[in-house]
Amino acid sequence: MADGEPRLHYRKIFSELATMAAGQFDERRQLADFSFLLHGITFTVYSDGRGTERLFPFDLVPRILPRSEWDRMERGLEQRVIALNSFLQDVYGPQRILKDRVVPRSLVYSCRHFRREMIGVAVPNGIFAHISGIDLIRDSTTGEYVVLEDNVRTPSGVSYVIENRAVMTRTFPRAFQIHDVLPVDHYPAELCQVLRSISPRAGDSPVIVLLTPGIYNSAYFEHTFLAQQMGVELVEGRDLLVDSDVVYMKTIRGLTRVDVIYRRIDDEFLDSLAFRHDSLLGVSGLMGAYRAGNVALANAVGNGVADDKAIYAYVPEFIRYYLGEDPVLQNVETWLCSKPDHLAFVLEHLDRLVVKAVGESGGYGMLMGPSASRTTIGEFRARIKADPRNYIAQPVIPLSRCPSYDAHAGSMAGRHIDLRPYCLFNGDKVTIVPGGLTRVALKPGSMVVNSSQGGGSKDTWVLRGES
Amino acid sequence: MLSRIADSLFWIARYMERAEDTARILDVNYHMLLEPLTVQPQSVRLRWGPLVAISGDQARFAGHYEEADANNVFEFLAFREDNPNSILSCVQMVRENARTIRDRISRELWEDINSLYHTVMGFKPEEEIEVGPHRFCNAIRFGSHRFHGVADDTLPHDEGWHFLQAGRALERAEMTARIVDVEYHQLLESAAVASDYHQWMAVLKSVAAYEVYRRQYHARIDPEKVAELLILHPQHPRSIRYNIAGLQAALRAISGSHADSYANEAERLAGKAHETLMYDRIQDIFARGLHPFLTQLQRTCRSIGEHVARTYFYYAVVT
Repeated sequence: MADGEPRLHYRKIFSELATMAAGQFDERRQLADFSFLLHGITFTVYSDGRGTERLFPFDLVPRILPRSEWDRMERGLEQRVIALNSFLQDVYGPQRILKDRVVPRSLVYSCRHFRREMIGVAVPNGIFAHISGIDLIRDSTTGEYVVLEDNVRTPSGVSYVIENRAVMTRTFPRAFQIHDVLPVDHYPAELCQVLRSISPRAGDSPVIVLLTPGIYNSAYFEHTFLAQQMGVELVEGRDLLVDSDVVYMKTIRGLTRVDVIYRRIDDEFLDSLAFRHDSLLGVSGLMGAYRAGNVALANAVGNGVADDKAIYAYVPEFIRYYLGEDPVLQNVETWLCSKPDHLAFVLEHLDRLVVKAVGESGGYGMLMGPSASRTTIGEFRARIKADPRNYIAQPVIPLSRCPSYDAHAGSMAGRHIDLRPYCLFNGDKVTIVPGGLTRVALKPGSMVVNSSQGGGSKDTWVLRGES
Repeated sequence: MLSRIADSLFWIARYMERAEDTARILDVNYHMLLEPLTVQPQSVRLRWGPLVAISGDQARFAGHYEEADANNVFEFLAFREDNPNSILSCVQMVRENARTIRDRISRELWEDINSLYHTVMGFKPEEEIEVGPHRFCNAIRFGSHRFHGVADDTLPHDEGWHFLQAGRALERAEMTARIVDVEYHQLLESAAVASDYHQWMAVLKSVAAYEVYRRQYHARIDPEKVAELLILHPQHPRSIRYNIAGLQAALRAISGSHADSYANEAERLAGKAHETLMYDRIQDIFARGLHPFLTQLQRTCRSIGEHVARTYFYYAVVT
């Protein structure tokens, strides 16, 4: 694709933007920013002692996915989510996949997020991965979407998908008249359906709560947003208590029994009796209630074993093993340092690879070989040798780019992007809101889309009936 | 309703009221003191102290300033973040509480609180001290009025809303009691005569009761009548009686208890205080002593606050 020439599905929005005067675009941008500020859709930076609130940079140029690309992606995601869930059922159940030696038992048992406490626990409807965020990138050399990582613990970001759309429709109402964009705002209702369906108590009105670590969590806005949109109570650990393996919330009228907890607290902090004893965020005794089948948790405890970065390499195998299908979406080529031949290759090519610690997320514990200093590479070499199981390596994938507004230059330029669609699983089918969260590296040339490092987001459009 | 949410609603209303009342007192007194007729050096010095007394923070004030004057009283009451009762601190607390329950209040109310917060944070203390408190205090007053308007219009009038009403009524009753108490005390101590009229006018204005007073009494300002209006008026929305009645009604709405009974200690105390305010006359109160009466009333208010918390917010640790 030649630079400067928008792809077919971007033409209409481009001619629309081209008719605007320069100042007009800036005005819309300010309007959008103001709208985020007013709604308090911010994250807090505590570096100055006062707790300054920042906006997630929002790029007004939408990312557009043609329907055909999306349909294929959706098929691949469905398959992947079902396979991940089957793996979790299996690994905490009969462990067929280990007995058949498709995945090495040692790899599973050495995973930091593997929870022995979960072996033999009958989770409601056999669902572990109710909510998954699968990170995709488009390889700009092949044009193929590939899976970068799976998030089946507590993926966040979906509120931005909905808020970005809301702001876009207010800022560019005309663009939505000339494009037939598939809606995204039904996500909370779909999520609520899934949560209702896993209630362990018979009856029409299960008590559902969303458990948050509190206002200092960077995703707190999302917790309040989802609780409000679903009409469920947003609770903190101190609002709950467990008595005789039943979970209750403290209300002004006494204790009310809780049936389903959509928890946005990590496993380690969930129950100070079962996991970290110093945790004040969770609820003591919660695991007991969970194991007794008196309360349902979404996502299940122990899911981290499925999104471990070394286990990731086996997900295409899971799809073949559990579904008997070929994967629609490919993985990024991955070398496991736990395998001696892979390790040798990795150590030899550190300056050309991306190395990741398997149990980490959010861009922590990573080595970007091509841009790293010699010292850093040396440090990683030592760390990898000391604990090979803890590392994997991947080639550097040139992320695809999308036209974005460069506020400094006052013009449009290509910026690297990724995509995280959000998948809901109710045991029978996978529901995905069209599109997902597009993150964009706003700095020229940067591949880092994290908000803490100059990343922003875009509204993501899947167009109805266009290819 | 979760106890924590009820707790936050109760305190959102209290902090908002505290911010508004402080702004009113500050604004009116500041301008009265600038009126040339009343600017007499000794009375000026006398006048700034009580403002700090009304906020109940004399000790903290003394830790920061040598003497009370227009600028440092304004700074202390409006902007100091290390003064937990400053207007800025109160607005921060309103927002902090709202943030923990933003899923339970209307989006419009949250946006309104958030925009008040950003407005307040946008004021630069040095500039405001330069131009005087009117602009700032007005913004707070409007903010508080808007808050209650938006709350009324967008929240369901359920138990959560009653906790807001209870918080506001309790805070206002206590604040009015303190204003009257401090002003009276101050006037008894000083021999100032010429400025009496202006001072009482300022008190009335600070609680938006000046016009009501003129209509009701058609007389020149008489301190006893001012006290009667602020303590016993059955309809004035800032009188103590009106607010204790509102508090009692809100508490009853929450518990569902009938007019001739009470469901908890907070309701009993509110009911008892209301009886006194209904059937005592101002001369009875003066005969027994205004200061002890107002001190007792403030103590009752604090006690009601504690009992509301014990009844609805706190859970004994269960193991």
